[in-house]
Amino acid sequence: MLPLPSENRKVSPFFVFYLIVAAQFGLGVFSFQREIVKFVGNDAWIAVIIAGISIHVVLWMVYQILNKGANDITVIHKDLFGPWLGGLFSLALIVYLLTLAVSVVRSYIELIQVWIFPQLETWYMALILLALVYVYIIGGFRIIVGICFLSFIFTTPIFFIMLGFPLRHMQASHLFPIFDHSVAELLTATKTMSYSLTGFETIFFFYTFIKDAPKSQKWGHYGTAFSTISYLVIMIVSLMYFSKNQLLESVWPTLTIWQIADFTFLERFEFLGLSFWLFSVLNSVCLFTWAGTRGLKQLYSLKQKHSLIAILVMTAVAAVFLKTREQIDQLSSVMDALSLYVMYAYIPFIFFYQMIKGKLRRTS
Amino acid sequence: MLKTDSAFHNSELAKLLEACEESADFLSFGLQDSPFFIAYFKTLVKSEIIHHEVLACFQAKKPSTLEEIKAILPIEEVSITDDMTDIQNKLMTGNLIIFKKEGNWNCLVVPVPSVEKRQVATPETEYTVAGPKEAFVESLDTNLNLVRKRLPIPELLVKELMVGKLSKTRIAVVYVKGIADPENVNTVIQRINGIEYDEIADTSFLSQMIADNKNSPFPQLIDTERPDRLAAVLAEGKIGIFSEGSPTAISGPVSLITYFAAFEDYLSIWNVASAFRLLRLFAVLFSILATSSYVAILTYHYEMIPRDVLSLLITSRGTIPFPPFLEAILLELAIELLREAGARLPTKIGQTIGIVGGIVLGTAAVQAGLTSNVLLIVVATGALASFTTPIYQVSSVIRLIRFPFILFAQLLGLVGVAVCFALLISHLLKLTSLGRPFLEPVFPLRVEDFKDSIIRMPFNKQALRPLQIRAQNRQRFQQEALPKKDWDIDD
Repeated sequence: MLPLPSENRKVSPFFVFYLIVAAQFGLGVFSFQREIVKFVGNDAWIAVIIAGISIHVVLWMVYQILNKGANDITVIHKDLFGPWLGGLFSLALIVYLLTLAVSVVRSYIELIQVWIFPQLETWYMALILLALVYVYIIGGFRIIVGICFLSFIFTTPIFFIMLGFPLRHMQASHLFPIFDHSVAELLTATKTMSYSLTGFETIFFFYTFIKDAPKSQKWGHYGTAFSTISYLVIMIVSLMYFSKNQLLESVWPTLTIWQIADFTFLERFEFLGLSFWLFSVLNSVCLFTWAGTRGLKQLYSLKQKHSLIAILVMTAVAAVFLKTREQIDQLSSVMDALSLYVMYAYIPFIFFYQMIKGKLRRTS
Repeated sequence: MLKTDSAFHNSELAKLLEACEESADFLSFGLQDSPFFIAYFKTLVKSEIIHHEVLACFQAKKPSTLEEIKAILPIEEVSITDDMTDIQNKLMTGNLIIFKKEGNWNCLVVPVPSVEKRQVATPETEYTVAGPKEAFVESLDTNLNLVRKRLPIPELLVKELMVGKLSKTRIAVVYVKGIADPENVNTVIQRINGIEYDEIADTSFLSQMIADNKNSPFPQLIDTERPDRLAAVLAEGKIGIFSEGSPTAISGPVSLITYFAAFEDYLSIWNVASAFRLLRLFAVLFSILATSSYVAILTYHYEMIPRDVLSLLITSRGTIPFPPFLEAILLELAIELLREAGARLPTKIGQTIGIVGGIVLGTAAVQAGLTSNVLLIVVATGALASFTTPIYQVSSVIRLIRFPFILFAQLLGLVGVAVCFALLISHLLKLTSLGRPFLEPVFPLRVEDFKDSIIRMPFNKQALRPLQIRAQNRQRFQQEALPKKDWDIDD
């Protein structure tokens, strides 16, 4: 168990907002529509709301676990399950986050390959991207918070301005009839939507880096609310702009929306937007990778600067091995399922286990 | 006029006074109610001091001997002497003499010099945007003051020498004892003492006279007008030389690379400074080689040029009636003419000449079909590049050595350029500055000295003085301990 980080390494509680948004509001915004519309059609926006609410509940549990443990998740695991089983749990969580990082890196490279440079070699882009990630992570957690904060400022205004362009072409009638789908269908869609909102589990690792960490909970909820509302806005715009069949056909509907933006001095806005989205990708990859290396340091006293290089190399290799669209999709659906278990099974399990164990201790 | 005793009339003092009286600005008169006489050059003394201090003390105290006057005069460094050469020298450097016409003709020598000098102003040729804005002036004492206040240590020694039969120029050799190599100091002092010349007007005279190779176009001692630069150089263990009446100091030993180091390099952060220093070095190489390569390639090796560029050159050169060599020489001469005319004229007219010559002549020459505009660009860029060197004298050298390169290019093409370059290198290899190799650290190869040559490393890497100077004490400061290796992220 490492000593808690010193005060000068910590960040103010309100930065949790940007960290949560950074983790949740990433590449998902481009492509999440289709999978949800597949199940519930025009009611997709309801699924977004339900998913958002459920994530709030999960986040609340996360904070309860951390506030009780008053340390990061590896220590809490050890307390609850002992070094062996606890270590196994921690390792699983770390692997999950690092796989998320791989998935984000590969998806972004794929986006660039499809939209900007069809000839681009995966390894080439992965090398550049991960070198950039290395530069950030080597600076420590505060630097990562910095990029999360700045990328929020860079990317979100552009994003919402771009959503204003299809206003003229939108059809409110696309949304009706409301509640046209069964509860089972809605829940299936909610399940898919949750994947887009995953990533906030990194808080298990950076909790100790927050000043007055329990007080940061409201910022965490604000962050989740912001992401949920953003997804909701995108979903409603997409539903009103596209017909259902169009949405089912297009892989990246948000980019298609960007395409209709037409300035006198600029056409094909999505080239600019995609390039700028690098920041968004950078901060989620940084966050996941940092959390992974931090966890490894807690578990095995590995120096972060060494494990970081190993993990970045592994990420690059994994990204290169994912060659086709199908493979990338496959990874996505695996992560989709995994995130579901992490959020709706694993976190509540820990929550209740900790609660019961605490009560037992008190009574005995 | 002097009332003369016969005895006094025959004395040496009287002969001296007589000789001096041939000049209109020499004054010599007796005092009222007093046996004393006063003599001085009125153009060399401050008359207020004579009126307020010297004459006033005669009126108030009525002294009767020279010793009494010496005791009551409120002026230091007053002496009594009968050494005629001394008296003559003192008279010529702004002293007045007081004497009696009876007795032993001793003189009281009172220093009342009036020194005309310029105010300390901003440097003109080595101007930097950041950093100190003081420059040396024509007064040796002011210059030494400017250096001393930057190095307020007793180890900063000033050795004063006198050179020039007529000019009697005061030369100051400045160095930091314990750092500067005594061998270098001796070399400098010996060479200055060996100078046989009547009138020394500037340190650049000295620089030429004590140079190791007097026929090389490269100056072997660097001249600067910046006291901060000189102080920095002294702290490195180099030796500075001043002369009375010169607003520049020279210093050595130097290496070729020093000429491309601007003082601004030390004022900006090391990586920025290094980038600009590299740019300057590149500019020099470009300046030397651009025109000659143009001549060589267009005369002999047009196969080298890619087809697209070739067509551009053909359209540009198609109507030019001269071979590239003549064309290049013409343009180079024109640019040199412009520069020379600009340098000789007052600033305002110089600017006009620049515009008329540069723009009007350049355009007209191209339109008239006398030169190609490609060559115009090459030559103008080359001239511009030569001006990036911070030391003015070197920029003229660089422009000058372009001409042999062009000649060789015409004779043997690119092989000729290589031959000329080899000649240049052989000359630089032989060159020394105060006996130290001029091409250091490239040859002899001293990797350590690269820390302040082609690039400038950060200050914390400059703990040792350069090997080339052979400083007695190489340690500039205690180097900080290296950072610990076992740090980690967020520790």
